[in-house]
Order: sequence, then structure tokens, then C-alpha cells
Amino acid sequence: MPIEISWQHSGRAERRTFDGRGPFRIGRSQNGDVVLDHPQVSRLHVEVTVDGASVRIEDKGSQNGTRIDGRSVTSATWSQGEALQIGPFTLRYGWVAAQVELSRVEPAPAPRAERRTPADEPDNAAAGGGRAQFPGALFEGRTVAMAAIKASGKLAAEIEYLAIGGGCGSFCWVDHLRIYGVSASAIRVLGVAPDKSPYAKWGRLCRVSQIPEHERIRSNSISTPDNIWGFPGYASREFVRDVVHGRMVGFKHILQVFGEPVLTESYTPRLGDVFKSFDVEAKRIGWDQMWVHGQVVSIRKTDDERFVVAYRVPNEFAPGAARADRERFMVARYLQLATGYPASNFLPDLQDFKRAHPDVSAVVNAYEEHDEIYRSLEQKGGTVLIRGRGIVASRVLQRIFEARIKNPNIRVLHLNRSAVTEGAKYDLARRPVRADVQQQPFNWPKACWGGTLRKLLEDSAPEQRSELMKVWGGTTTADRDDWNVIIEQGLRDGWLKSFYGSVQSMNYQNGQVVTRLEGREKFQESVDLVADYVVDCTGLVARLDETPLLADLTRIYDLPRNKVSSGGAPESSLAGLAVTNAFEVAGMQNGRGRVWAAGVVTANGPYAAVDSFLGLQYAALRSVDQLGVLRAPGVSRFGPLRSLGQWLRWCTGRSPS
Amino acid sequence: MTPTLLGRWHTRLILFFFIGLPVTFLYAWYLSAWGLSNEYTLAWPFSEVWLRLPPVELSIFQDPFKFLFALLIVGLILDVGYIQIQRFHWDQDWPFAYQFFFSWVEFFLVFYAMDFGFLDFMFPDGRIPFSTAIWHFTWVFIPSFIGVLALIQIFLVRWRFKGGELGRHPIR
Ligand SMILES: Cc1cc2nc3c(=O)[nH]c(=O)nc-3n(C[C@H](O)[C@H](O)[C@H](O)COP(=O)(O)OP(=O)(O)OC[C@H]3O[C@@H](n4cnc5c(N)ncnc54)[C@H](O)[C@@H]3O)c2cc1C
Repeated sequence: MPIEISWQHSGRAERRTFDGRGPFRIGRSQNGDVVLDHPQVSRLHVEVTVDGASVRIEDKGSQNGTRIDGRSVTSATWSQGEALQIGPFTLRYGWVAAQVELSRVEPAPAPRAERRTPADEPDNAAAGGGRAQFPGALFEGRTVAMAAIKASGKLAAEIEYLAIGGGCGSFCWVDHLRIYGVSASAIRVLGVAPDKSPYAKWGRLCRVSQIPEHERIRSNSISTPDNIWGFPGYASREFVRDVVHGRMVGFKHILQVFGEPVLTESYTPRLGDVFKSFDVEAKRIGWDQMWVHGQVVSIRKTDDERFVVAYRVPNEFAPGAARADRERFMVARYLQLATGYPASNFLPDLQDFKRAHPDVSAVVNAYEEHDEIYRSLEQKGGTVLIRGRGIVASRVLQRIFEARIKNPNIRVLHLNRSAVTEGAKYDLARRPVRADVQQQPFNWPKACWGGTLRKLLEDSAPEQRSELMKVWGGTTTADRDDWNVIIEQGLRDGWLKSFYGSVQSMNYQNGQVVTRLEGREKFQESVDLVADYVVDCTGLVARLDETPLLADLTRIYDLPRNKVSSGGAPESSLAGLAVTNAFEVAGMQNGRGRVWAAGVVTANGPYAAVDSFLGLQYAALRSVDQLGVLRAPGVSRFGPLRSLGQWLRWCTGRSPS
Repeated sequence: MTPTLLGRWHTRLILFFFIGLPVTFLYAWYLSAWGLSNEYTLAWPFSEVWLRLPPVELSIFQDPFKFLFALLIVGLILDVGYIQIQRFHWDQDWPFAYQFFFSWVEFFLVFYAMDFGFLDFMFPDGRIPFSTAIWHFTWVFIPSFIGVLALIQIFLVRWRFKGGELGRHPIR
């Protein structure tokens, strides 16, 4: 679990988060992990090593010594709550159980050599206040002078279009730009995925939340991030492939698209097919040539109607380069911000448990790596407590069902706050409920992507929007026959049982997790549920303010945020950046320079389904259309004939330009 | 599909102009020039006759256009009802199966309206026989259905995000 070290620095509270074992270096040197700039501190003063829940410090021969709670020490265990004193500074630490390690895709843990060179500085302090050093004073104000950027010697490139994030949202934007006529040389993508893959992070989240490549995702046929037209969709492609191989199941996909969702279960593509389609399109548009490895630290307006982006090249991509040489600037006229899920927190009681038992891996959030649990279940059997319902719970249940085929001694306790008695009601319709969960094919009603509900939401005032989205969204799962059967079987055969109530506490006793439920209504006694593992599927509470890049941006430019309503599902409480209907970030305009955003960072704004492939494509379409209106270089208006021409190029696998 | 009312109307009109009218033109021409004459039908298209412009029977030539026009009007009116049906769906969508089914409902509605004489003001010289009407409709329906499944979005990238409406999104 990551450790967070905090201290006071000229009246300001500073903190940095470190992942891994260390050693982490504390000292006066700018190359240290924690920089304490004071004459009483030696250049390399102390090294901190983390081993499970135990933390050791070693004084590296400092001039003025090191003390723990007043005792002079050279090599000692540093317990939680104790004050580590170095010169005038007092340091403490805590465990950052609060944050799910969604960000672990990036940057990949640096390979740690036995003897570290200056190039091996860990960058994984992503969540900490790295701003103290880079870009420093240059970025203090709202506008940065181009002359100063050039004088810094760190300016890596000046281009027209810059996509920040390098994930699926960036990909859709760049794909549109290329197809609308922009050449690859005018575009750069900043991201941290080691293999430059646009689906690195999404693919990881799928894998850990138990969607193997042959499984079908929750997305429809025309949700094609590799094809801006949505034709041919995944269903037609699968049909053609099946029929070419003489497999008659191909017709099933076509019939599904024809009858869904009323007459048949909705068609959804296989994860592996979506991955492959990304790869093919990435190659066609020259994605790899546009890619630059970099963790974006900060963004500012320039004095020539553009933007300067400060980023740090993770050390694994610039081996041998000193930290200062890996800090760079890129300047562009048009930016797109698609950084995906911001810092995400565990539920409070899970946080408490993880703090109290930092070395117990029996309690996890479904978005954390937890394959080990299923492996162990397959070998030894056991009891799993699943918390929450919804799509992720369905996947986890399916995985346990598969484990049960290898080892029938697995039981599941399914805990929810209360039973679902009836589905949400909107207009003349009611959302169906089956097996104690509301069902809808995708995470929003379909008309949110391009139909009546999209229009309604766009035309609504901000307060109404959050109310509408509260009704349309919420916790749902897909109506899949296989999942319905699993639940019915489980309940009938007795290996699955539902419980309702709010969690009062979680404790670890005799190698098992005891979840205590609060008394309810007339039944005031508390109930203990004992399980070997707890998998939390209740979702994540994402916060823009805890993501350094976005926190800095919103603070400096005082960016407006979307309104949220209280008491909905976790995602309905994420107040995204306020954007226009064309996804331009309100308040970031800099003369001709513009910033757009896409994905979950725009949650609860004018468009509901922002965190979906089709939604990312929509955001891309609208922003690139706006670029066309602005007569941005290379961007066409993309009328019918150009569209047809580009589509034919797509079909024949030729580069857009 | 997740159409809006305006989107339904736009899409219907675009299909009318770009598929309905051209197909009807060819069909009406064929019908009025050769279709009713055994001599020509058998020969066509193998003889050289098809190269010459055959004399066109104007009254017969007009009929398919009138029929198509009646279909358009009925469709535009029914669209108001379809949008109401959508409101009963949680997803507020319009499955392709419905599109298929209701297209034929529209055909039979117009055909029997004509057959029972309600449209005699449009067809003063006699009604269209069933076999002719159904062939005509089939030739219009197939490409139109393919149109909404695939063709339109190849030309108009914004169409699918606008519930079938034409044009661009306003920049605000
Ligand atoms: C398990 C799961 C399944 C899903 N299934 C579907 C589905 O079936 N259909 C569907 O339509 N949608 C699905 N989604 C939702 C959505 O489409 C994906 O999450 C998609 O990846 C979102 O794209 P994004 O660009 O917003 O974020 P991401 O793809 O996560 O990309 C953001 C990127 O930005 C990088 N980044 C962040 N901060 C910085 C920084 N400071 N500097 C540099 N880089 C940075 C991150 O490393 C990341 O690579 C799913 C989501 C999850 C979690």
C-alpha cells in the first residue's frame, strides 16, 4: 500500500505519496524524493524503506542527526504516529488506503537497480505535491511568457494540437482530427502507457474487474472507437468473420442488432475484438508517431494565445537522463484533456479496514488487482462477501461461478444496503428489475447518446441536469441470460445468499473478515457476516480535487464545475469540469487558443454518457467540428463527400492523408 | 435507433428524396414503358429495344409517384405516434425490428386506403393493383432500410448523434 509522508515547509503542509519498498531519500538535494531545503539538513539525510506495514529509517551520516519522538537514532523502525525530526522539520506518515490504485498503469514501476543512478528517481509520487520543484516559479501566475519558456531550455516541441492523457478519449479526438484532414506532424499525444496503447488503462481495469478478452463488454455494436461512422459496427464484422469461417452463429449477432433490446438480448462486442480494432486504427492514423511519453504536471496559458504544458518523462523512457532533463514543456494552440478517472477513493469503512490492517489482502475493491482471491478460492474454497450490485458485481459473480466449477466449496454472501423493490421511473417507462437489480443494456438509457434524452439534457438548466441524470443513471446491470441463470441457480442451490443492511464495522479475526451490520428498524441487534474475502463492488468515489493536474488547473483559472445532486450512485457525485455543449472547457479560452475535455472529467454536464466509447466519440466530433468552424489549420468542415471518401479509405486500410 | 421527432421527419425526407424518388422514377418508367406490355417485358432487357426511349404512358407513369407521396404523408403523421410509443421504452429507442414492422404497416395502410377508394381523388384513372404496389414498395423499402442501418451515417457523421436530424450541431 502506498505510504504518504507529510511535513511542514515554511508554514505550508506538504505531502508526498510513495509506492513500493523504497528506499526513498530525504535530504536537501533537489534529486531526493522528499526535498527539505534547510542548512541543517544534509544533502542525503535519511533513507526510508517500507516492508509491508513496517517502515524503517536509516540516517545516511547526516551532520545534525535524526530523531524519532526526541530519541536520537541512526537506524530504527519508524512507527505510525511517531514524529521523525530532521533539522527544523517534523515528518509523519500514513497509509494511503484511501485511494484505489487506478493510476498504477502509469508510469509502470521503475525497475530498481541495486545501485541507483540519478536517473532512477521515482516518479510515482504522482499524487504528491511535486509542484514544489517543477515547473516551479515559472508557473506561479495565470500566464507564462513564451520568452521565459524558451529561455528555460526545456521546450520540447511547438505544435497545433495536443491531446493529454493518451487513453481512449484522446484516441477518439486524434482519430477525428486525422480524418478531418490534420496531418500527424501537427498532433502530439502525451501519455504514460508504457506501450503507447490507447487502451492500456481501460484494458487493465477490465482485466482486474474480471473481464477476460473473450468476454463481451457493455457496449453496443455501433460504439466503435476505431471508426467515426459507427459502420461497420462490431456485429457486422463478427457476422462476416463467422460466416467466412462457416459458423452459423454469425446470424445471431445480426438478429440481435435487429431485435435488441426488446426482442433479444442486446449485442455486445468481445473485449479482444475491441482491443484489436484499436490497434488497427492506431496503425492507420500513425498514433505511435504522435505519441510522447510524459506525465503532465501542469498547464498554463501563454502570452501568445496558446498553452504550455509541463510534463515529466518517466525515467523508464529516458534511461540515464537526470531528473531535471526529463522535465519538459510542450506548447500548443489547441488542447484536449482526457485523463480518465481522477483519484478514486474507497468507501470510508474500507479505508478504515485497510488502515488498520495494511498487510491483509483479503479485502479489496473490484478495481484493484485481486486475481489471487479467485486462485485461492479454486484451491482451498472459502466464503466471499460481495458488496454492492451492478455490472462489476455481475462480473465478479460470474468469475466465482467459474471458480465453483473447479471447487464447489465456495459460498457467496451478497450484501446490499436494501432490496430493490421497483425500478426507476421516467416519463412513461419504468426500468425493469430482475434478481434484485435494475437492468438496462448500457450504463445510461440508450437515448442519452444521440436521441431524445441527449437533446433534453443539453437544453436543460444545470440544476435540472443533475436531477435527470440521477434518475437515468444509478446502479444497473445488463440483462444477460447467463448472469440471470447464475443468480437463480446460486439462490436455489444455496451457495449464494443475499443480505441487507449498512456496514457498522469490519474487523479481522482468526484470518477472517467480520463485517458487522447495523441493526435496522425493529431488528436492533447487529449481525456479523464472516467471510474469507470481501470484494467491494459498490463503485468508486472519484474526486477531481485530489488529482494534482486538475486541482491546479481549476484553482489557477477558477474553473466552474458542474452541479451535482446528493444521494445518488457514486458517479453522480462527481462534479466535472463545466464544459460547453461542444465540450470546450469554460474559462480556458486564450485568444485563439482553446481547451476541450472528454470523458469522466466532464461528468454531470450537458451530456450524460461521457464515460463511454460512443460518448468519447461524440465529444471528439463536437470539438473537432468546432475546430472546423474556427478554421483551425488542416481541419475541414467534413461534409458528405469527404465523409464518404474517408470512409472508403478506412475500409481499405489506407492512411487518412 | 434513438430518433427524435424532428429526426424522424428529416430522415424520412432524406430517404424520400435520395432513395424513394429515384427508385420510383425507375420503376414508374419501367412500368409505363414496358411493364404492362407483354411484348416489351419479355424482350427487355435483352433486345435492343431498351436502348430506344419507349413511349411512356403518362397516367401509369404518375401512379407510383402518387403512391410514394401518400406513403410519405402517412409516415410523417404516424411519426408523431411513434415518438409516443418510444416514451414507453426505458431506453426511448426504436429497435430496427420496429422500423421494419412499421414500414410494412404503413404500406398496407396506404394500399388499403387506396383499395377501399379513400384515395380516389389521387387515382382518378384507376387504382394500382396489389402486385404492382408491393413490388414498388419492396424496391423502395430495401434500400431505405439499408439506408438507416448504414448508408446515411457514411455520408452524415453527425446524423446518429442527432436522433436522425440533418445538419451540424450548433456551436455554443
Ligand atoms: C472496467 C470498465 C469497463 C468499461 N467498459 C466499457 C464499455 O464496454 N463500453 C464503453 O463504451 N465504455 C466502457 N467503459 C468506460 C470508458 O469507455 C472507458 O473507461 C474509457 O477508457 C474512458 O476513456 P478516457 O480517455 O476517459 O480514460 P482512459 O482510457 O483511462 O485514459 C486516460 C489516460 O490518461 C492518462 N493520464 C491521467 N493523468 C495523466 C497525466 N497527468 N499525464 C499524462 N497522462 C495522464 C492515464 O494514464 C490514462 O491512460 C468501461 C470502463 C471500465 C472501468
